[in-house]
Amino acid sequence: MTANRAFNAFAMAQSQFDKIADLIGLDAGTRAYLRTPARERRFTIPVRMDDGRVEVFEGFRIVHNDARGPAKGGVRFHPHETIDTVRAIAMWMTWKCAVVDIPLGGSEGGVVCDPHHLGPREQEALCRGWVRQLGRELSPETDVPAPDVMTGPQHMLWMLDEYETMRGGRHPGQFTGKPVGMGGSRGRLQSTGYGLVYVLREALKELGLRPDATTASVQGFGNVAQHAIELYGRIGGRTVAVSCWDEGRGEAVTYRRDGGVDLAELRGMTDRYGGIDRARAEAAGYAALPGEAWLEQEVDILMPCALENQLTADNAGRVHPRVRLVLEGANGPTAPEADELLRGRGVTVLPDFLANAGGVTCSYFEQVQSNMNYYWEMDEVLGKLDQKMTAAYIAVADLARRQELSLRDAAYVLAINRVASACRDRGWL
Amino acid sequence: MTEARDPTLARLLDSLQERSKELDCLYRIEELFTAQEHTRQEICRGVAEALVAGMQHPAICQAEVACDGFVHRTENGPRTPCHLRAEIVVQEQMSGEVCVYYTGPCPDVGDGPFLKEEQRLLKSVADRLAHYVLFERLRDLRKGRAHVREDGSEEPLWLMPIQMLRESDPHLHQSIARKLLNLLCSMGVDEAHDMLGRVDSVVSAETVSGEVNVPGVVLKRDESVLLSDAPFFMAARHMTDHEILLKVQKWIQDDRAGLFLKILDNPRTTLPELADALRRYHHLVGEGSSLQPSTVTNMRVSLVRRFLTEQLDYIRVAKEFVTVADLRALIDRLIMPVDGTGKLGGKGSGLLLADRILARASGPDRPIGEVHVPRTWYLASDATLEFIAHNDLEDVIEQKYKEIGQVRQEYPNIIQLFKHSPLPPHLRQGLAAALDELGEVPLIVRSSSLLEDRFGTSFSGKYKSLFLPNQGERAERLDALCDAITEIYASVFGPDPVEYRRDRGLLDFSEEMGILIQEVVGRKVGRYFLPAFAGVAFSRNEFRWSPRIRRDDGLIRLVPGLGTRAVDRVGDDYPVLAVPGQPNLRVNVELEEIVRYAPNQIDVIDLERNAFVTLAIPDLLREVGGRYPGLELVFSKLSEGMLQQPRRLMYDPAHDELVATFDGLINGTPFVRHLRNVLVILEEKLGTPVDIEFAHDGEKFYLLQCRPQSHTDDAAPAPIPKDVAVKDVLFTADRHVSNGWMPDVTHVVYVDPDAYAALEDRASMLAVGRAIGDLNKLLPKRCFILMGPGRWGSRGDIKLGVSVTYADISNTSMLVEIARQKGGYLPDLSFGTHFFQDLVESRIRYLPLYPDRDGIVFNEQFLLGARNLLPELLPQHAAIAGTLRVIDVQAESGGRVLRVLLNADLDEALACFVAPGQERGTGADAAAELIGRPGEVWRWRLQMAERIAHDLDAARYGVKAMYVFGSVKNATAGPASDIDLLVHVEDDPVRQAALRVWLDGWSRCLAEINYLRTGYRSAGLIDAHLITDRDIAERSSYAVKIGAITDPARRLQIGGGDAPS
Repeated sequence: MTANRAFNAFAMAQSQFDKIADLIGLDAGTRAYLRTPARERRFTIPVRMDDGRVEVFEGFRIVHNDARGPAKGGVRFHPHETIDTVRAIAMWMTWKCAVVDIPLGGSEGGVVCDPHHLGPREQEALCRGWVRQLGRELSPETDVPAPDVMTGPQHMLWMLDEYETMRGGRHPGQFTGKPVGMGGSRGRLQSTGYGLVYVLREALKELGLRPDATTASVQGFGNVAQHAIELYGRIGGRTVAVSCWDEGRGEAVTYRRDGGVDLAELRGMTDRYGGIDRARAEAAGYAALPGEAWLEQEVDILMPCALENQLTADNAGRVHPRVRLVLEGANGPTAPEADELLRGRGVTVLPDFLANAGGVTCSYFEQVQSNMNYYWEMDEVLGKLDQKMTAAYIAVADLARRQELSLRDAAYVLAINRVASACRDRGWL
Repeated sequence: MTEARDPTLARLLDSLQERSKELDCLYRIEELFTAQEHTRQEICRGVAEALVAGMQHPAICQAEVACDGFVHRTENGPRTPCHLRAEIVVQEQMSGEVCVYYTGPCPDVGDGPFLKEEQRLLKSVADRLAHYVLFERLRDLRKGRAHVREDGSEEPLWLMPIQMLRESDPHLHQSIARKLLNLLCSMGVDEAHDMLGRVDSVVSAETVSGEVNVPGVVLKRDESVLLSDAPFFMAARHMTDHEILLKVQKWIQDDRAGLFLKILDNPRTTLPELADALRRYHHLVGEGSSLQPSTVTNMRVSLVRRFLTEQLDYIRVAKEFVTVADLRALIDRLIMPVDGTGKLGGKGSGLLLADRILARASGPDRPIGEVHVPRTWYLASDATLEFIAHNDLEDVIEQKYKEIGQVRQEYPNIIQLFKHSPLPPHLRQGLAAALDELGEVPLIVRSSSLLEDRFGTSFSGKYKSLFLPNQGERAERLDALCDAITEIYASVFGPDPVEYRRDRGLLDFSEEMGILIQEVVGRKVGRYFLPAFAGVAFSRNEFRWSPRIRRDDGLIRLVPGLGTRAVDRVGDDYPVLAVPGQPNLRVNVELEEIVRYAPNQIDVIDLERNAFVTLAIPDLLREVGGRYPGLELVFSKLSEGMLQQPRRLMYDPAHDELVATFDGLINGTPFVRHLRNVLVILEEKLGTPVDIEFAHDGEKFYLLQCRPQSHTDDAAPAPIPKDVAVKDVLFTADRHVSNGWMPDVTHVVYVDPDAYAALEDRASMLAVGRAIGDLNKLLPKRCFILMGPGRWGSRGDIKLGVSVTYADISNTSMLVEIARQKGGYLPDLSFGTHFFQDLVESRIRYLPLYPDRDGIVFNEQFLLGARNLLPELLPQHAAIAGTLRVIDVQAESGGRVLRVLLNADLDEALACFVAPGQERGTGADAAAELIGRPGEVWRWRLQMAERIAHDLDAARYGVKAMYVFGSVKNATAGPASDIDLLVHVEDDPVRQAALRVWLDGWSRCLAEINYLRTGYRSAGLIDAHLITDRDIAERSSYAVKIGAITDPARRLQIGGGDAPS
């Protein structure tokens, strides 16, 4: 009885879409078309294993929509039962590319496997098999895969090599997520964190706050958080608290220093995964507070940049009244009920979907550079990123203001509308 | 103080002076012999004069030397009664004597007029003269032979050796002549019969074979013919010269072997005597290739038994692989007491045997590369006893029979006592020689006791191994070495080994501690000394993270630098794991995993500070850069989200980030394949799974240790009883089972797979993970197990498994992943890969469960039917009670606990309900030992809790009631557990404060007693929680424990009335 109501990522993505479709008043045909992926390919990949056996793996590629441009989406190596998740991700990719207005559609794919049980040579064979099976459906003009769960730059290079062998010639724009020097783009590390701050800067303008008069509290101290803190500091903001995971104690800790954290100093006492050395931090004048203290700080801005579901109905009440903005660096850090609560208190939530789109934007830049085989310097990448993110924010904020929507809803409305228009303009619908 | 020391000093100086005179005398005599031009008369004179000079009072001393017909006296007067003499014996016949005597008044030095050293000197000189006489006689013989045949006829080849043999060893000549005659008889040579007949009176056939019941007649023998050339000339008529020579040579070898075996088998032969005999024998005979195989085997067995071990299992293998030459090479580096009978000890023997097996059993079909063993010196095991006797420390031997608390308390004193006691001088001399040979290189001093590394018992890590940087002045280095050895000697009397031996009935064994002094493998890099990497390897894999990995694929734990971090589990750091049988299957696949679980720290020797230090790897690399030995083998460069092989030349320590992945080693060299062969060969030849320690200096591979694979603590295969009723079983498993057992599981946390799959939203699924994280903090540590569907900790699709991190499950004792069949399809399990290394390092067991397989018992009814405590424990998570169930096993199974038994040998697991602390009755001794005496630990705590309640002055402190709860009440307390008390008090802060002080006194005392009993140190043993009426009314804080649903607190009787029962 309950089975058919069980959690299903794709069903969730569809219901989100339905809600926005209602809001826009999307016609039935468009709605039906955009509710489901445009193309689904499932295929098998035989691999000769290290022990001589042949094992057959299931691969797939789902293009949700490519009305606005070549589809873009990850390739994940993951065990079974992910087809609905993959459909959902392909759909989200369509909206995400649309909201930052980059000319790409959305796709996702993968192989049913657990790389933990595979050797490197077997993984390489899978990558090459995946490309061979998709054959002519791949091209820089139709569908461009990128790394996702349990795949990385190495997998992209194997796939690219197989693709180029099939086609002859060099086509670096066929895959993104490559290392610099092998067709990758500069600024990939910075893109998500900086993108957050570009959006934040625009939001502050709108709220009439000068960045140098604001303070922030950040959850997480990984790559995204560190770059966000860095750029936020450069535009004048002061980060007073940072929370991170303390591996040794098995708990999160918030480090606060009222005069502001010194990013370089903290980086000097941080391991590769954002764990800060507690003793050294305390010696440097940081107060070590409980893990959740980051959200209770008397600051103007909260930046959850670690995990999903961090601001919940249970703890949203503890958010300090001074907080004006929540900048979602992580995916889904604010639970829907908390979102409601915060909005009710007049807090602006800059949705993940828009705010952390710097990563996908940079991925698009990689594609562009690879296609023309000309690679930009860092300044050029970041300058273009600023333009894209700023424009995206202004468009979303404008719509939100005009239609009295939340930024989250406005972002969806804008994205879905852009995709729907593209389909109509092409005469598909 | 100086005055008190003076006489001692004077004595010491005297004795040194005497010693120097003695040595001087010996040198002078030796010079006489080496200068070949001296006549015998001159020799006698020289010796006599040297002897006089070597005596304590040369002014009144005279000497007389009579040797092979020549005599010399230093004066003409008569010999006085005050004399000392020694005979010169050549070929068992007296050929002269040396004598010294005093012409003045006889001095008295205690035991007569002469020193003991002087007696020894005289004996040495007499022996040296005997050698000289023998040598001269043989030389004369050789010279004489040159003139035998002047007629030009050719002398038979065998003649001279036979005549020399007759001169030097008539017995052997006789025996060989007899053997030759027997051989000729067997060839049908009649004249040989006749000659033998002349030797022995003729014996008629009837006399020999007749059944007579009277003693046989002793026959007359005329053996003179056997001392002549006659038998040999007779043989020359029937055999070639060459054949005769070969036979003679063989019989001489047989004879040497026989003599040597006699010495070998004589239990009274000391080790140094044996070593001398072995040197002589090996010099004369070599490996004895012409000996009977049975003789060779016999000799090897006897040698192994004397030098290595008496264990039959070991000998069985060693006799095939350890040769006389191997032992001959060993004894030059064996330091032993003068009259010792000790052995090498477990570690030394194990390493020697493994090295020899690998040298002899590998081949082109099973390549192992070059396996080296570091230069090693050995100190024989009975040196411990000599050290103890030398310092009058015999009392410590009783230590092992004392209460463990006392042992623990006295151990630090014993260490100091030992460290302040000198090693006997000749052992110190031996060690000095060892240091001279080894040079100024870092050393590791390892224990090699008789009990260690025995087949069938594991004694790993119980005794110390100490690193010595070994830098600086020779005298200081020698002191440090002696100091390390005495410290290792002291560890025999440490509480852990004593307790371990007591538990295993090995207490009465007379433990002796051999010592290995090994050169540390490595290179000097800047101020540091380190190997490129080191590690341990097991021929059986008990930690499989993939169903593709078989148990016999083995396991390697690799770390950069010294191997200490691979041997021990360090908690905050990880070794790199690899499977020799499946080198491509790595436990960490994603970049983030690889980097997170890469080793972060490194153990090295700091030569400047003369110390063993642990450094952060990035710090070391910044300092030494590309000079790190084997950089490309150990590290990968992290760049652009990829790991690449670094190039030494291109490496920029300031900017490049290196991660210890061992990719270069595993993927780019045959190292893993070779190591696999090493493990396979050793397991095959030793007939038991093995573990080895190794190190690599960037170019060469060194084997450091080999022993039967040990099952530490709880990792032994648990016997699986077959007589458990199905109703008492929670589950069974028969696939991918590792070893281990969880004795007293009190709670089961069960995620119902069906209910989980049916959860409607992501938030609910995440809530399950969060609730488990909260339960992890709440439930008693290592007393609960987690059971749930699919892939725990998966970061992909949350539907596939509960979303948890390691921190959410860190206190569980076992993680059970359940794979239910769905329409004929069996889902994959994660094998805990997402936090596999955390599980390994914290010894949390993992079990995949396939409930739908034939023959598998899965008591779902119990799991779903039992009362779910979740809503009461964590009301905030009540909403997911339909999915997440917390079961109090004791409450639901009539006071019993759950016991989980895992056996990788059988590939079977069983979880069954048993009474707490109950031993398993079905042949479970091996594993049962592992609990030690589990009942004792909690029972003592409960008694103490009762005692505290009994002694409590309730009126004075305003106490209304007292309760005990937690592990003490549940009978699950371990040696590190505290005693949780709940005290119901009046709301009076003054009296509460006084009570706290009173309880604190108890707490500290009990902690001290607990430390003495168990070795677990804590600031206090009592965790007391004071609650008031208001807490009880509000059911706040710990008040909920009173009358609680799960794990209620137990009330204790207060005051001096009847003791509570």
